[in-house]
This record gives sequence, structure tokens and C-alpha cells, in this order.
Amino acid sequence: MTTDSVTIDRVLELIAAYGAEPGGWPEDERSSAISVLNAHPDRFAEALDDARALDALLDSEDMPEPSPMLIESILAGAPTAPPPRRSLFGGLSDLIFPQGARWPAGAALASLTMGLLGGYAYASTGVGYDQADAAYYAAFGIDSGTDWLSAE
Amino acid sequence: MSGQSEFDQITRAASGDRAAQAALVNRNMPIVFRVAFRMLQDRAEAEDVTQETFLRAWKALPDWQPKAKFSTWACTVALNLCRDRLRKKKPVLMDELPERVDTAQRPEEALSSQQALQGIEAKLAALPERQREALSLCALEGMTNIEAAAAMDVSVRALESLLARARRTLRAELAGERG
Repeated sequence: MTTDSVTIDRVLELIAAYGAEPGGWPEDERSSAISVLNAHPDRFAEALDDARALDALLDSEDMPEPSPMLIESILAGAPTAPPPRRSLFGGLSDLIFPQGARWPAGAALASLTMGLLGGYAYASTGVGYDQADAAYYAAFGIDSGTDWLSAE
Repeated sequence: MSGQSEFDQITRAASGDRAAQAALVNRNMPIVFRVAFRMLQDRAEAEDVTQETFLRAWKALPDWQPKAKFSTWACTVALNLCRDRLRKKKPVLMDELPERVDTAQRPEEALSSQQALQGIEAKLAALPERQREALSLCALEGMTNIEAAAAMDVSVRALESLLARARRTLRAELAGERG
């Protein structure tokens, strides 16, 4: 957008506010203001000289450098990437092995668990030691109910 | 940097991309530091304000809307933090003076501070706060009038008035030194 109605007074205002360099003037007025400036160079000479002197003074500003540690401190507070999404197996593994799955220890624990569960299941079926032994003794004609020690 | 590529960078920085975060800091940290230093005239305080500005940025990035450039937003935050600090520094009347702490500088430090305050820095430091902000953003950091006005939360017309008054004061001082 450009403004075609830039007057001599407006160009003086622009110089007073933004300095002698047209690159720093508002974009929408710049080209029109430069046209006015070029059409009346004598009218703006004094204002431009004053503004250039001040611009040069501003350019001479001495600025200390920030500490090299500042960037590191700033980045230390930056957000970190969220952890990658785990699979169902990964989640289950985390649940069973909160310290991380270690296969030898995991396999031993799994074997122990399966053994205990198997033994418990077997015992709870009712086909226990006594019935199996009775069948065995009957096959050989031995009375499993005989108390051998007291029979003597 | 175009608005879209800056937005992409901000999105990546918000999701934890270290390269995007470093690029954002490298590009914007210097301007935030300089603006803060001009307001506070103290390097350590300017660094504190710069760090605080980026801490707030990290929190704001996930909800970032590409309405303004990051540098404009960061300067707004930095200027507000500087204003808070300057407000706290203003002298308070006390019934009893506190015990004086020996703040004497070593001769070379005193000379260095004196030299530092002899150039344009001293003249800028003497300007009223809002005029200093306007000149810092427009004349020294090259912001457009629209960006600077947004950063200061004033109208473009008000910004122009602040700039003109600041430059008039500085010109008068310059003329005084010459005369």
C-alpha cells in the first residue's frame, strides 16, 4: 500500500521520527516520500544533515556481549522431546519388569511362576498322591491301607 | 525468515527439537539482550531478563499463534520485565537510611564504567523510558513502525511521537556539545 498524499511537512516529520535513511521510514509512505524528497532537495537539506549526525551517533553505540553461558542456560530450560510411544508388549514388559526386562532373570522368574502355577493346578484337580498310590498298590495286590509296621 | 518457516521452526522447537530451539535462540537472543541492556544499563540484569523471556517463550510455544514475529513477541515480554525491574528500582522514601554497603569500585572498574557512560549509551540512558524503548526498537534494532508499536503496545502515531521527541532531545544534546 502506498500513500500518494505525502506532503513536504510529512517528509519532515518522517525525518524527525525515523532519521535520514528512507529505508527506516514506514513502508506505505516510503516511495511517495522519496519522490517528494527528490523534488525539493534544498527544502530537506538541513533536516537531513541533523538526522544523519544523530544516526551516526546511534550507530556508534557500544554494546557489551552477553556471557557465552547465556545460550546454554536458555537451552537448558527448553522443552524436551516426549518419550516415544511404547507398544502393548513394551507396556506389559514395563509392568512386569519395572527395572527393565533382563532375559536370563526374566526367563528364570517365568519358569518359576509357571512351575508354581502348574503344581497348584495339578494339586487342585483332586487326582492327588493317595489315589495314584492306591491304584499302584492294587495292581500288585498290595493293600495300600495295611499298616506294615503295626501288622508285625 | 518468512512467517511460515518461523512458525515451522517454533512448532519443532515446541516439540523438543534441539536444533530448532538453538536456531530460535541464536537468532533472537541478541536483540532481546540488547533491548534489555539499553533499558537496564546492566549486563547481568539484561541477561536475567533475556533468560526469563525465553523461559516464558518455552511455555508459550505449544500454543503459539503466528500473529506476530517471534522477535516482536520476545521484545514485548522483555520490555515488560524491564519495566517491572525499573519500577522496583525507583527510590523509596524511608524513615531510616539503611546501613551503607561498601560498593566502592576498583579504579579500573570506575574508569571503565565512566567511559561506558560517555557515549551514546549515556544519552540513551537519560531519555524517558518510553522514548528509549521506541528508539531502541526502531532506530537501533531496525524494527518497522508497526512491529515496534506492537511490541510497545502503542499506536503507530504514538510511537512516531515518542521517536520524534527522543531524537529531538538527543539532537539538542549533540548541538550543546558542539556549541
